[in-house]
Amino acid sequence: MRSIWRAREFSTVVILLVEIAFFGWYLWPEAGRSHPFLNLGNFLLIFKYSSIYGIAAIGAAVVIISGGIDLAPGAIIALTTVITGYLFVVAGWPLWAGASVALAAGAFSGFVSAQLIVRARLPPFIATLGLMGILRGAAFIVTEARFYDLSAKLPRDWHIAGVSIDWLGPIVMVLLAGVFQRLMTGYQWGRSVCAVGGNETAALFSGIPVNRIKTSAYVLSGALAATSGVVLAVVQGQGKADLASGYELDIIASAVVGGASLVGGRGSVAGAVLGALIFGVLRNALPQIPGATFYDRLIVGVVVIGIVVMDQVLTRRSHAS
Amino acid sequence: MPADAGTLEFCDVHKSFGAVRALQGVSFNVSAGEAHAVVGENGAGKSTLLKILAGIARPDRGEVRLDGAPFTHASPRDALAGGIGMVFQERLAFPNLTVTGNIFAGREMTFPGGRLDVRGMRERTQALLHELRVSIDPDLPMEHASAAVAQLVQVARALAFECRVLVLDEPTTSLTDAEVDHLFRILVDLKQRGVTLLFVSHRLPEVFRLCDRITVLRDGRFAGTFDRATTTSDAIVRAMVGREPPARIERPLPPESVAPVLSAQSLSRPPFFKNVSCDVRPGEIVGIFGLVGSGRTELLETLFGLAAPTGGRILVDGREVRFRSARDASGAGLALVPEDRQRLGLHFNLSIRHNIALARAARAGLGAIDRAGETRMAQSLATSLAIRAPHLSAAPDALSGGNQQKVVLAKGLGTAPRILLLDEPTKGVDVGAKFDIHNLIRERAAAGMACLVVSSDLPEILALVDRVLVMREGEVRGMLRAGDATEERIMQLATHEVVVPA
Repeated sequence: MRSIWRAREFSTVVILLVEIAFFGWYLWPEAGRSHPFLNLGNFLLIFKYSSIYGIAAIGAAVVIISGGIDLAPGAIIALTTVITGYLFVVAGWPLWAGASVALAAGAFSGFVSAQLIVRARLPPFIATLGLMGILRGAAFIVTEARFYDLSAKLPRDWHIAGVSIDWLGPIVMVLLAGVFQRLMTGYQWGRSVCAVGGNETAALFSGIPVNRIKTSAYVLSGALAATSGVVLAVVQGQGKADLASGYELDIIASAVVGGASLVGGRGSVAGAVLGALIFGVLRNALPQIPGATFYDRLIVGVVVIGIVVMDQVLTRRSHAS
Repeated sequence: MPADAGTLEFCDVHKSFGAVRALQGVSFNVSAGEAHAVVGENGAGKSTLLKILAGIARPDRGEVRLDGAPFTHASPRDALAGGIGMVFQERLAFPNLTVTGNIFAGREMTFPGGRLDVRGMRERTQALLHELRVSIDPDLPMEHASAAVAQLVQVARALAFECRVLVLDEPTTSLTDAEVDHLFRILVDLKQRGVTLLFVSHRLPEVFRLCDRITVLRDGRFAGTFDRATTTSDAIVRAMVGREPPARIERPLPPESVAPVLSAQSLSRPPFFKNVSCDVRPGEIVGIFGLVGSGRTELLETLFGLAAPTGGRILVDGREVRFRSARDASGAGLALVPEDRQRLGLHFNLSIRHNIALARAARAGLGAIDRAGETRMAQSLATSLAIRAPHLSAAPDALSGGNQQKVVLAKGLGTAPRILLLDEPTKGVDVGAKFDIHNLIRERAAAGMACLVVSSDLPEILALVDRVLVMREGEVRGMLRAGDATEERIMQLATHEVVVPA
């Protein structure tokens, strides 16, 4: 099984590299001018923005592998920027304290979704759709069309241990991806998540605490979305209720492009992060192509379908052989 | 493996699910090291008994004792730890995990610190599979494993947890005879090592082959425990059904001179089957026998227009037809009753009535539905098939397997076909329903319907058909008349290189 997963992640890496190569070639500048896409500053930019989806996509992948779906991450991101902003700017708390409360709120939101799914037996789509509305609504009620300006209170050109704050998102994303990739493939918890997503009844009969495993997946997804929110608040310097709107679908799409199967049981955390990077590159490069501005959403949609179809064709072929 | 224990006592066990009284005062004993069968029709309470043993349900009243101690397992995890291993039907596997992953699911071996001991589990799996005398790759993803392998993996799983009692729920449903033989050799082996076997099955010949004693449940009540040595299969059936089996409907054979209504001529669809020819005349029941994978299901699907043949011809009433869809085939007077009723036969979101009316409605096109006519038709078919349902507006998931199968049959008959294709029409169906379904097929044939029946159940073939076509590896190996067909001759054709001219 692990070798198959490795192969799946390998193909995601290949897609990412092909994509980078394509834009590198397409956007090649006239002699003497610097490359608008292939430069270190631009890569940092891509990494920085992808990490917002990428961190949340780790949790989304775990939920999808467990056989569920989580539509709340976009709203959780917005709400956590607001919580962090309010506590830091208005209430005057230290940043770490505000961020901690925001993380706890994200985890709690996930817990509420899980209870609706596990106890009230709501379909995950409905439970998290409801949560999405409630949380986004809460963010609007708190802010009342204002926004909290964190950047004014944060140090200008902030460096921690010599590293620019711009690297916060990418570093957090890579660390978390490493940790959860390991937990999913090498630990009992991850194996149980796969088992629940593969066959819930069999999991129950095997003595796997199905409800606890599902709850852990949604709590994790909530906490990771909140992490994205905190990173966004700090890097962007804003706490605002309409941030990250529509992100839930981009986050799910990242996990799916990275190999997660919406019927459950299959997928990879590392793949989800790679999926987020594939989207990050598209979003960064497409606007640089003259005339492509209005096409970028359309192209992103085509790419999602294309990658997943290609994956299915390849899987079918490998099954046949 | 501990060999000194494994007695089970059921003492006045009661269990209700809502208004359904699944078990009403069941008491019987299973001795240590014995092979004990539990039989009964669907709905007799077998699965509830299994749920209690698995720790999924608890009795409302009464108790189960394991080695004399009350068995109060609150969860499947406790049941496993208490020494009860369960082997369920193969659908209870994890398709996305490997063989090793399936064996250790929920109880993985870990290093201190929680990291999975992947190598240790793999080695233990290899040892267990070796013990079961099977060569399976421990890293094989379960979705690529056959039903037989899936079954053995569950046995291995029970062994991995050193069970004293091994409970098997219909373990042979999707196994071929050779695979059943292998499984039984392993079970006999385990029995000799002192493991108590509790065997739940519909197949009485297997029950008699393996088990020392047989307990019969009927309508949630204990209907007797019988010794294999002193009972007969008829006595067991009477205890299960609670009545004499219905008399077999006799019917005249159609005369040889009648022209076939359906013919296949050198029909091929590699890799499933090639060069298959057969005729079915009105009023005739023709059987197709073959082991799993011999191309029978694919043949029926091709006849019904679900797949195009790559060679050969299909004739209806002597004229060549080229069906491009099931709709075309249905229009020409064919109906197919598929094998997998859960997946292909029933819509669980629709009522029984709408299920029955569906095939006909599909043929009627997009016009308004004649609700009254639909209700009349469903009601009359439900009556003639003796479908036991609380109400026809209920969903079919509340029905027993036998009654679900009757609904699928009714759906096929709803289009008033002249040619009925049946794929394993009594698979997983209880004895009473099996009699009913056989009689129904005979009745329809007597009224002039042409029936083509695929079955892996040899006694069924012998009891039902006028002629039997034997297939192996996608080719016809012989055609036997009812008078000449014996179990031995059919099996020989299905497994060896002997060709009898058709």
